Amino acid sequence: MSEPLLSVEGLYTNYGKIQILRDVSLTVGAGEVVALLGLNGAGKTTTMRSIIGLTPPRAGRVRYGGRDITRWPAYKVARLGVGYVPEGRRMFRDLTTLENLQLAENGRGGAWTIARVLEQLPKLGELRGRKSGRLSGGEQEMLSIGRALVSNPTLLLVDEPSQGLAPLIVEDVYRILRELKATGVAILLVEQNALLALHIADRAYVMDSGRIVHGGPAAELAADRNRIRTLMGLDAAVG
Amino acid sequence: MFHDLAPQLFNGLVLGAFYAIVAIGLSLIMNLTGTINMAHGSFMTLAGYLAYSLVLRGTSFWFALIAAPLIAVIVGIAVERTLVRPLYRREPFYSLLMTFGLSLMAEEIFRLIWGPNGVPFSAPAALSGAASLGFMTFPTFRIFIVVVLVITISALAFFLTRTRFGLRLRAAVQDTEMIAALGTNTQVLYAVNFGLGIFLAGIAGVLAAGMLGLSPTSGNALLMPAFVTVIIGGMGSLFGSIVGGLLIGIAISMTTLFIPAASEVSMYVLMAIVLSVRPRGLFGEEGIFG
Repeated sequence: MSEPLLSVEGLYTNYGKIQILRDVSLTVGAGEVVALLGLNGAGKTTTMRSIIGLTPPRAGRVRYGGRDITRWPAYKVARLGVGYVPEGRRMFRDLTTLENLQLAENGRGGAWTIARVLEQLPKLGELRGRKSGRLSGGEQEMLSIGRALVSNPTLLLVDEPSQGLAPLIVEDVYRILRELKATGVAILLVEQNALLALHIADRAYVMDSGRIVHGGPAAELAADRNRIRTLMGLDAAVG
Repeated sequence: MFHDLAPQLFNGLVLGAFYAIVAIGLSLIMNLTGTINMAHGSFMTLAGYLAYSLVLRGTSFWFALIAAPLIAVIVGIAVERTLVRPLYRREPFYSLLMTFGLSLMAEEIFRLIWGPNGVPFSAPAALSGAASLGFMTFPTFRIFIVVVLVITISALAFFLTRTRFGLRLRAAVQDTEMIAALGTNTQVLYAVNFGLGIFLAGIAGVLAAGMLGLSPTSGNALLMPAFVTVIIGGMGSLFGSIVGGLLIGIAISMTTLFIPAASEVSMYVLMAIVLSVRPRGLFGEEGIFG
């Protein structure tokens, strides 16, 4: 069997002296959508940050596209085609919509250009000259995803894309993620709203207290709401 | 006294332009990395002395005006890579102390190389003399200074707002992690940004040497007004530094004319007034150049 696009093995990550991740292992295959579920503070965001090098792990290995990228600086990981849509969007608030997109142009080439992103997300086209700090939450989420697209990622790490958004806008966001999936982009999706994520994912992992406590096909987990409740706590199976 | 008003006002603008360009360099470095560069004045002095030595060895003033700041930039980037960079992860206090120590060392090194007293560094013949502005005459060299500083600041504004690298710098000031996650090597940004700040200091250093004289402490004399400029203009705003610098320059020149004894204290009075009305400075919340 060929190696998965991304494989994380035995990751241990600390914030200062506080241990966050304990022996986290997961894989994402090429073109696969993998959901990473869990409660607040379970370690999902830290897992993503460890993968892209923003919070280097203390131990363990991260392999991507056949290379060991453990503790690589974030810019090098990004240049390999790993896009990041962080929690809370993280716009460059004083820069315009267009400038935010321009920052992601990296000369890797690929199907996604700024023109194509603006065509696919026409709302962003209308707002191209507006400072991104003045966009609504939904518009910022679109821009954050658009920004990642312009970099033509092979793997996209998406952190809590539905957080704080109105249901209609969440639908929009997930429509784009599904379109991306159709074009063969692999996605590691962190989401509090378990059912929403399981709907689009091929496989799912559940984290609790910094460990992976479950891994398996998404459909299987989606069909078993009691299982989700047990794994993630009572209020997790919403939506 | 009042017939002195126009020339003195113009003097104030020249002085203010110096404060502005030094303050912009300080702000660039402070905004991106949180480093308060206490050695900024030393880089001014260094560029001044380098220009002096270059001209002494027979190069033209024009060559020295560009070459000396560039050499200072090379020294500056070396300092950033070796001494400042390891402190980025720490409290700003550490880099403040380190660069303060560096400025003390630099002063002694200048004394060792170029002597404890001031050295003469004068403008080339083409720039000496006076030019008529119609309503008054004014030393040509000072007009030249204003022209060079305006060109330099305009070039910087162009670089920051119209180039890809400038865009990355402006973005990194807001979120260094995200800019890294988009594929930009932030260490390169830090180094180039530090170099830019030093280049501005260097240009100011050479010009100031020709107008205000050159001694081991001459750059440091401009550092405190530059810090006051940053505070009056508002942290984070390069445009604020321009306005703040000009205001201080005019305040100092006007008090020199009317109440000479108070000239030293006037910028602090101005700072107190501005801060009591707007604690964040005049343009403290604006983005950098828009």
